[in-house]
Amino acid sequence: MYQTIGEKVSVAGVYQQGKFSPRKILWGNRTYVVDQVTFISDEKDGGVAKRTYSIMARGNVYRLAFNRSTEIWTLMEVWYEG
Amino acid sequence: MKASPNGNHPNNQLWAHVDINSYFATLLQQENPYLRNKPVGVLKAAGRTCIIAASKEAKTYGVITGCRLAEARALCPKLITVPAPFDLCLSATRQLRTIFTSFVPDVEIFSLDEAFLDLRPCRRLYPDPFEFGKLVQHTIKETLGSWVTCNVGIGRSRLLAKMTGEISPKGSVTQVTEDNILSLLASTPFSAVCGIGHRLKQRLCDIGISSLLQVSFLSDEELVSTLGPFWAVEVRKMSGGEDPELLQRIHSNDHMKCVSRTITGYGLCDSEEIIKRTLYNLTLEVITKVRIMKLAGRRVSMFVQGRDESWRGHHTSQSYLQHTAEMFSYVYDRLYKTCHRTFPVLRFGVALSLLKEQSGIQEPLFSTWHTQERLESAVDSIREKYGNFAIRSGLLTTGPVIKQEVTGYLGDKKFYGLE
Repeated sequence: MYQTIGEKVSVAGVYQQGKFSPRKILWGNRTYVVDQVTFISDEKDGGVAKRTYSIMARGNVYRLAFNRSTEIWTLMEVWYEG
Repeated sequence: MKASPNGNHPNNQLWAHVDINSYFATLLQQENPYLRNKPVGVLKAAGRTCIIAASKEAKTYGVITGCRLAEARALCPKLITVPAPFDLCLSATRQLRTIFTSFVPDVEIFSLDEAFLDLRPCRRLYPDPFEFGKLVQHTIKETLGSWVTCNVGIGRSRLLAKMTGEISPKGSVTQVTEDNILSLLASTPFSAVCGIGHRLKQRLCDIGISSLLQVSFLSDEELVSTLGPFWAVEVRKMSGGEDPELLQRIHSNDHMKCVSRTITGYGLCDSEEIIKRTLYNLTLEVITKVRIMKLAGRRVSMFVQGRDESWRGHHTSQSYLQHTAEMFSYVYDRLYKTCHRTFPVLRFGVALSLLKEQSGIQEPLFSTWHTQERLESAVDSIREKYGNFAIRSGLLTTGPVIKQEVTGYLGDKKFYGLE
């Protein structure tokens, strides 16, 4: 099931063919290397555009949101088996 | 009717129907590799008890849309339940639309996971419809992910394209030609025919009709006496593989006629405070959508439903409504309070209909209306900049807010700009 996190994180990535792809996340004092981006979705809250990256890192699935207005990255949720 | 050499209809009408397999569950499985090859049941939200979608693995156990969670668990003890990713699905539908419009100019989004593509203008570009279907499937996988599969049905009408897609194996491309149309019409169950619902199916079954092909053997008089004048014509059209009215008016330049919102609570509710807050929340969503589409409406409807009882009412205003406070006074004071509720409520609904474009409405001269309009406009601007609930009424500060969510049949596709 997905566990809500809602914490700000730092993200490093690359632009490939005009698209951003996250490669590393700094959450707390730990760095997570992104193994795979499994899905990218866009949503709008009023006029605020957000992009959510679903990624796999260290064997877990994370939902990472980028607020395109404030340019803040937030780790929204993590999937854990159980 | 004579077919062209490649098996297509001579009038060159050609439609492709694209249907993503088990949409909600497939997208969840694409997003989360741990869910792949496992039976997944999608709930509206955590704590809900109705399965609104199931993965293909869950379907093999008999878990279907609409079944109760307890029932689903009895059928499939290893079922994994996940809340519906509404925003993700809407985003995927937008991506699908982009894919489709990159192939053909005329795309009709039919529901969240289905679309009709008009192949007629692009026959030279895609001379082989089967190859076109394969190309669409490939591009969807490239864009949304390798787990996302779809059925592509191709036919001379939307009805035939959808019918063949409905009954074909997952991930297939099938084409209806003049050679196989009769077997399709003879073998497709009514449950897979778009436009034939339960009641119509029952009425047809009552006279021994179980397929569209059999309808051809009935006279017009027999059809009219059984189905009435409207459905007799509709069913006759469908029996010839032509689109029923429902599929002919997917595209319309008209604005929305009604905006509504319903919600089912987690349990029976007897608290006046929660009922008032819920009705306000639903009203706010309706008015927000109406204002964004620059519309205003005159008829306010609402209902509350308990376990066995319900109450519904409507009021038609003389003037057009486009303000939250104004509509809420109708919903709560003029409608809800008059029902003198005696039962706990499980389900709520609010609607605004008889909609008209604001540009065609004479603005009232009352200064109170203009004050309200200035207030609503200011709130609209704040929401536009900071998010839907960045500013809200005090009524919505005492509990969780109900957020907008998209429905599977995509009733408000005009609002989401998917038409």
